Amino acid sequence: MQYFTEHKWMQFVALLVVFFALVMAIDPATGGNLWRLQETRFWLLPDVVNDGLKFLIDDFWVVETYDAELDIIEQSTMMKEFTRYLSGVVLFSINLIRELLLGGVKTVVAFTSWDFISENEWARIPALPWPAVAAGAFLAGQYLGGRNLSLLAGISTIYIAVFGQWTPAMQTLSFVLVAVPLSVLLGLTLGIIAFRNKTFEAVLAPLLNVAQTMPHFSYLIPVVVFFGIGDHAGAISTVIFATPPMIRLTILGLKKVSPEVVEAGMMSGCNSRQLMFKVLIPTARHDILIGVNQVIMQCLAMAVIASFIGAKGLGYDLLVSLNMLKIGQALELGISIVLIAVVLDRLSLAWAKKQVDYFADVPFHLRHKYSLAFVGILIFTSIVAYIASMAFPDKANYFYFIHESQGLTTEKFWDSIVDWIITNTYDSVQSFNFFMITSILMPMKEAYLSMPVAATLFLVAGTGYIVGGLRSAIVATAFIAFIALTPWWDRALITAYMTTFAVIISVTIGCSVGILCSRSPKATKFMLLVCDTFQTFPSFVYLIPVIMLFGVSDLSVLIAVIVYATIPATRYTVEGLSNVPKSLQEAGSMSGVNRTQRLLKIELPLAFPHIMLGINQTVVFSLFMIIIGAFIGTDDLGQLIMQSLSEANGMGQGIVLGLCVAFIGLAVDHLINTWAEQRKRVLGLS
Amino acid sequence: MRFLNKLATAAAVSSLVLGATVAQADSKEPIVIATHNWTSQITMAYVIGGIFESIGDNVSYVPADSQAVYESVRNGDVTIAHEVWQSTFGKSFNNALDAGGIIDVGTHASATQEEWWYPAYVGDLCPGLPSWEALNDCAELFATPGSGGKGRYLDGPMDWHGQETLDRIEALDMNFTAKFAGSSGALWAELESAAKDNRAVVVFNWSPNFTDAGDGGSFVKFPAYTDGCKKADGGDGKCGSPPAGWLKKAAYYQMPAKWPTAYKIFNNVSFTKSDIGNMAALVDIDGMTHEAAATKWLADNEATWKAWL
Amino acid sequence: MSTSAQRVIKCESVYKIFGANAVKILEQSGGKVDTASLLEAGCVIGVSNASFEVHKGEMLVIMGLSGSGKSTLLRCISRLIDTTAGDIFIDGEDLLAMNAKELINIRRNKMGMVFQSFALLPHKTVLENIALPLQAKGISTRDSMARAMDMVNLVELTNCENDFPRQLSGGQQQRVGIARSLAVEPEIWFLDEPFSALDPLIRREMQDEFQRLQSVLHKTILFVTHDFDEALRLADRIAIMKDGVIEQIDTPANIVLKPATEYVAKFTRGVPRERVLSCKAIMEEYDATATMSDVTVSANAIIETVAGSVLTEQNPVAVIDAEGNIVGALNRNIMIDVLFGETNSMPVNN
Repeated sequence: MQYFTEHKWMQFVALLVVFFALVMAIDPATGGNLWRLQETRFWLLPDVVNDGLKFLIDDFWVVETYDAELDIIEQSTMMKEFTRYLSGVVLFSINLIRELLLGGVKTVVAFTSWDFISENEWARIPALPWPAVAAGAFLAGQYLGGRNLSLLAGISTIYIAVFGQWTPAMQTLSFVLVAVPLSVLLGLTLGIIAFRNKTFEAVLAPLLNVAQTMPHFSYLIPVVVFFGIGDHAGAISTVIFATPPMIRLTILGLKKVSPEVVEAGMMSGCNSRQLMFKVLIPTARHDILIGVNQVIMQCLAMAVIASFIGAKGLGYDLLVSLNMLKIGQALELGISIVLIAVVLDRLSLAWAKKQVDYFADVPFHLRHKYSLAFVGILIFTSIVAYIASMAFPDKANYFYFIHESQGLTTEKFWDSIVDWIITNTYDSVQSFNFFMITSILMPMKEAYLSMPVAATLFLVAGTGYIVGGLRSAIVATAFIAFIALTPWWDRALITAYMTTFAVIISVTIGCSVGILCSRSPKATKFMLLVCDTFQTFPSFVYLIPVIMLFGVSDLSVLIAVIVYATIPATRYTVEGLSNVPKSLQEAGSMSGVNRTQRLLKIELPLAFPHIMLGINQTVVFSLFMIIIGAFIGTDDLGQLIMQSLSEANGMGQGIVLGLCVAFIGLAVDHLINTWAEQRKRVLGLS
Repeated sequence: MRFLNKLATAAAVSSLVLGATVAQADSKEPIVIATHNWTSQITMAYVIGGIFESIGDNVSYVPADSQAVYESVRNGDVTIAHEVWQSTFGKSFNNALDAGGIIDVGTHASATQEEWWYPAYVGDLCPGLPSWEALNDCAELFATPGSGGKGRYLDGPMDWHGQETLDRIEALDMNFTAKFAGSSGALWAELESAAKDNRAVVVFNWSPNFTDAGDGGSFVKFPAYTDGCKKADGGDGKCGSPPAGWLKKAAYYQMPAKWPTAYKIFNNVSFTKSDIGNMAALVDIDGMTHEAAATKWLADNEATWKAWL
Repeated sequence: MSTSAQRVIKCESVYKIFGANAVKILEQSGGKVDTASLLEAGCVIGVSNASFEVHKGEMLVIMGLSGSGKSTLLRCISRLIDTTAGDIFIDGEDLLAMNAKELINIRRNKMGMVFQSFALLPHKTVLENIALPLQAKGISTRDSMARAMDMVNLVELTNCENDFPRQLSGGQQQRVGIARSLAVEPEIWFLDEPFSALDPLIRREMQDEFQRLQSVLHKTILFVTHDFDEALRLADRIAIMKDGVIEQIDTPANIVLKPATEYVAKFTRGVPRERVLSCKAIMEEYDATATMSDVTVSANAIIETVAGSVLTEQNPVAVIDAEGNIVGALNRNIMIDVLFGETNSMPVNN
């Protein structure tokens, strides 16, 4: 008995035995509630949520508004007026930046009227010539981070221009330049409040968990209803998605500040505001900057999804070209998205690290040399562009703007590669396809679908109890029980089966690659760069090629998921292994272990908790991508979320389905985190 | 609470004083046109936008999901949606009509057909097509690893017509299973890859569409549609889709008041099947951008659209 | 220390008790501290009944092992933590009664503090770190940077002002900490184990540097250390703490010669007296008739520093005070006794 209580694996084996016994014992035909929970009033939850939200936006606190144009008084609600006002502010900011880059009228209209613009053509803001923007990128890079950054920023801008993606790229940029600062500020503010107020933190924590694991599609309709459609709606949904990591990292960073530093600040006579802004935040900067990096990555990752609700730019163009099967074009657009992300990330990092020279006593023209240089270049390029358009009025003006159809393109090259792969690998792919689907995926799906509710809940509760005691058992079971109460248990099982499969393969690949790379610092660095790139690269691009290769099937979805979900597994393995304390590695070497032994006996066990967090992320990434996989064609929760876009109670249904997906993620997240924390404590790493 | 109420009233009053002119002509505020993710729809958006601009109105375009767009029209965030397909968006559109705030602005001249479809080369692989019985006889040609030996019909996304396909397969006792694609892109990708391998495939498709051009293909002939033949309408389900579905236009309910002229024109707008095909071909086949295609179409077909003014 | 000197810090029965119920139990007992009942309730006593004064220009070293409550006491006096009971006066003002604004004010003008782990802001340069208290005070960037630059020179870090803390050695980092604490020219200087994290050689160097600074600045100092040698070397007076209680508070000489408790004696036992005691502690009465050596020693000189010259003289050596008056005498026998005789066996002047 003592042996049993001391050895968790024994308990786990026993748990599995009981689980399988339950699976055998419960018969689908006669099992009733043990097999699948029958319809209850809980099934009305989507309608309740939907009606609640509708009430809030349509009927709660009605006010009268006056439409000047039509000279009528209309009914509206305070909520609607408020959200529309907020939308207006966001939209104004986006338009302002966009019109500086691309030209336009809306900013002027905001201060005058559409009539004014229609009568005064001159009031349109002209676009900056692209060479001026490229020069600005070079200068900003040089000013903030020196030559390398200058080259990165400048060449990326030139790439975007000469590949004819100027308009969509600047549209995306203007949208990102609003969403990123908004998310960072919001995240910082909420993080600070949570740091100061424990109650607030306790309320915020579960909301953050849900916001980070809920699939984006499930809150698109509510955003449309509350905030309308357009770039602002895209920006707002992006902010919802990108703020949670910022909040988390702000809290984490602030908590990590050593108490002596805080005391030093207090003894320096800082008041609480100064303490926060002069001491705590600068000291927590490392984590906060990781937060900013995450925000930038998330914002650009949302570029495609935001286009579903009106965000113009690279994401929308990418979606259109994919739908037209122009894979090469989609790839080029995807590269632009990655470039914008990388450049913004590096620039913001360099900006935060920029030093001030307090004793430099330099004359005005030297102190402002970059701004002056920019103004000079702007005037020069504008004149060149103007002269060019005067001299060749009928020709395209490459000095001003390179149109989509005039840019360079490598489209044919990529398309021919895709063609080649499809035509030449058909037979081998077909037999692989057939084997995978008939021998692995279909049996696995059948097995999952034969899991009775009662047995599954027992398994979850038991695992929770073994991992983290009663509390974990209750938390994990509550998440899964919520799903069991909805009408979508079978759907959730299919999602679970796909997640399991994708996670197993991703983790196998990711850990192997990670272990191989961690042998050399150079490979480590390279691998982290690859991870960064793939994380920002719009995952939608994979969807069409996998269909062409593997057809519309679960296998296609899973391959796209694995490509995406391998990133965190790899990243965390590399990080975990390279963070193993040097002294322990040396101790190992001195005990005479060889490389393999050192890896197996010392490095992997020590890196294991961190790797587990990577697996945790792999689960979350897989869930996200499986939901996006609905665009290929699935029959899980994702298909229903997609379908809820056209349902009458779509808002509520989308949200409840989104919660189901989130809760699968959160249950796994809770178990893995609890376990990793315990391991860390045992290993003395926390 | 009361303060905010007051604030709202104050705002209303101040705008009352500022904008006291009553609009007889069209508002200069832009008419918002939704663009989705397929060629003909985007090009048509620019064509209609071009017509509105020719009478001096301002226009702006906003990308929108083709299902979610009706909610936005209802709320006035989008002014018009100009391609409402009967079987794919009918449900979303009707839900919005029930909720109010959206006007049905009539149909285009073009009738639509939505049905099982196969590319031309499949006709050689399975002689006897387009008859559904012939299709059923060579079902195994259409089998895929996941279809368990039966033929596989790749349907559009489930929310387009859902149960109808399954009902039909069952009613006609066909040796087929249906797989729901997730998006129209998935349909085209499957068609493209099947064509490269010369593999038999039957998918959901519609006309007018870009597939009308080029080598083309044909719709499978099912037992003729009669009113009420669908299982959902109480019939036996042994019938195909209606041969001429509608393609509607929708508008925000305030459009007639705010842009009376534009609304009148939009009411008249009616594209034929060949109009839509031509627009799509300019982009898909001639490689023009959507805007350029629209400009060219407007220049080439002045007689057609001038008549709607 | 002359009693006429101005009192700068005054503590009266200061208690710091950790634990959720501490305040409640204290209220129940009407403000009277009952140690037994507190311990029973699971409270931990940080500081117990500390009463003492520190005078202007004086340096009080609080000595104790880890967990003795010495840092807690320091934090009570700097009000970084709240005192559970008792009174603390700074320049006659009731520190514990100050509101947040007054507290910030007194910290901005009167207090400076140095920390064991340096507590520098990692992403600010040396100059920016030193300027922090000045900027907090609202002094313009230009002026505060100029002043910070002076401080850089004072602690001999010239040319390092644009380095980041991570680029400096431990000793240099602590110099930055010292410069920061002195930037606003405080009257009261708190040092919390400032040299504990340093290597022995650097520690010694920093102690010398510290004495040099103090000889110029004459601050009122509260210095916390766990190093008894350091306490002896630097202190005007030492307070030895154990389990939150001040066991003894006295001059280094008296602590070494007359340890009040067994605990204090444990520290003093191994201490070479010649390093601690000054001549006046062991001198005998001056006999005007005796033949004196030509050599004289100062009454305040540490024995170790004069032992050599006394031992080489045949005749007694005169001990003189600051004004040059002879106040006593030393001879070789006394010196030999002190250096090689048995500990605590010899008479010592008070």
